[in-house]
Amino acid sequence: MIRFENVDKWFGTLQVLADVSGEVRRGEVKVLVGPSGSGKSTLIRTVTRLEKIQSGRVSVDGADVAARGLDINRLRQRIGFVFQAYNLFPHLTALGNITLGLTKLRGLSKAAARERAMEELARVGLTGKAHEMPGLLSGGQRQRVAIARSLAMDPEVMLFDEPTSALDPEMVGEVLAAMKRLAAGGMTMICVTHEVGFAREVADEIWFMQAGRVIERGRPAELGDKATHPRLGAFLRKVEQSLGS
Amino acid sequence: MLEILQNNWLLFLVGQYPHGPIGGLAMTLFMASISLALCFPFAIGLALARLSPYRWLRLPATAIVHTVRGLPLIMFIFWTYFFSPLVIGRAVGGVETLVIALVIYEAAYLSEIIRAGIEGLPKGQVEAATSLGLRYWPTTIKVVLPQALHNMLPSMVSQFVSTIKETSLGYVISAHELTFAAAQVNNVLLTQPFEVYGILALTYFALCFALTSLARFIERRISGDRGGTPGVTIAA
Ligand SMILES: Nc1ncnc2c1ncn2[C@@H]1O[C@H](COP(=O)(O)OP(=O)(O)OP(=O)(O)O)[C@@H](O)[C@H]1O
Ligand SMILES: [Mg+2]
Repeated sequence: MIRFENVDKWFGTLQVLADVSGEVRRGEVKVLVGPSGSGKSTLIRTVTRLEKIQSGRVSVDGADVAARGLDINRLRQRIGFVFQAYNLFPHLTALGNITLGLTKLRGLSKAAARERAMEELARVGLTGKAHEMPGLLSGGQRQRVAIARSLAMDPEVMLFDEPTSALDPEMVGEVLAAMKRLAAGGMTMICVTHEVGFAREVADEIWFMQAGRVIERGRPAELGDKATHPRLGAFLRKVEQSLGS
Repeated sequence: MLEILQNNWLLFLVGQYPHGPIGGLAMTLFMASISLALCFPFAIGLALARLSPYRWLRLPATAIVHTVRGLPLIMFIFWTYFFSPLVIGRAVGGVETLVIALVIYEAAYLSEIIRAGIEGLPKGQVEAATSLGLRYWPTTIKVVLPQALHNMLPSMVSQFVSTIKETSLGYVISAHELTFAAAQVNNVLLTQPFEVYGILALTYFALCFALTSLARFIERRISGDRGGTPGVTIAA
């Protein structure tokens, strides 16, 4: 469904993606790990053209996302994006954050949009916070609203960029739980996360990035195998230790 | 001073109204408010054009803003005063002249405030809207401008304060505003310019000081209620 072919990306003279290839099939969950600055965020941002690439090809269902004729906004509606910093609209209530896309893009009436938004809020357990401003929500609650906002658009794919990294440890669980439910429901997902437990549990494959390249890929079950995945295994163990998890 | 005020307070407040045109403080406030209100759409347009990815929008807008900001207001007042009759084909009153000049002048300054407000928003706001699939205009109208304008409210009040002070230049084209009223009183009394212009100064000061305090108050409120994103104030 999503395919990267020999993707190169530079910021000025700095190459941040180098010959990245890979495929995410419908219903698969890929987890991206790697040291800071290795290009994980940049890679998933290329999928909805938040970042343009200089060479190679990124395609969704066979369609090149850089193609001139492509309706990029239509594509973005099909692909949810969850940010580390939530990026909720601070001037709108939790509900307003979710209804905006529904009324502006889906052409739903106000009432229908509210109803749909309430369903999504219920799914992430935040029915009671519908009329709260984002500033008054906890980090975990904000991220769940952000997830609900994306899901309300009925995306076929969800991209997560370190959705729990800005959260206090006690709130990580509630966000991961929402993501696990999504994965269990068959959602196609690419998650940048260092939550090793989550990766082991739901990832079909883990991609390890370093200096703009995907240098190792492995199924969670194979991670103990030091012969085939020496660097990925070592990285994950280090992450686990530093988080004490 | 008190005696002057006692005898002339109505003139200071509303000019010769109801026996003549409305003027004084009322006209000063009216002109400042209407100018700011009318220049608002232009200011937003200029700000958006200056931030546009398209050169053909960005360059002219930038040129306009720099030109206007590089000239004193009195230039615009004179130009409007002498040229608009040629364009419109009839004499234009002092009040209209001043309002037109102020709209042009203030649009340039206000556009810079709005631009700063837009640029001050976290990049993630536009990215989140973009990621939902929203296009430029819905993103701008529903996400960018409401936040930028809210954050810039203190600066806009400061801009209103400058505008109030600038209306005093209307005196040179006989726009009936507060300074004009003071000059009238002075012409009648002849011997007490210190007192008369003292009253004028105090009136401007009280008004502007109150508004500046309001701006500071709003600024504190804003940085409080959005979890720390500070409202940036551009000194007027
Ligand atoms: N807009 C930008 N302009 C210039 N350089 C950038 C920009 N965005 C990212 N970079 C650089 O690109 C490289 C890859 O960044 P990216 O954010 O993809 O890394 P990451 O793997 O997500 O790291 P992290 O774990 O810190 O989020 C980094 O060296 C970063 O400094
Ligand atoms: Mg990143």
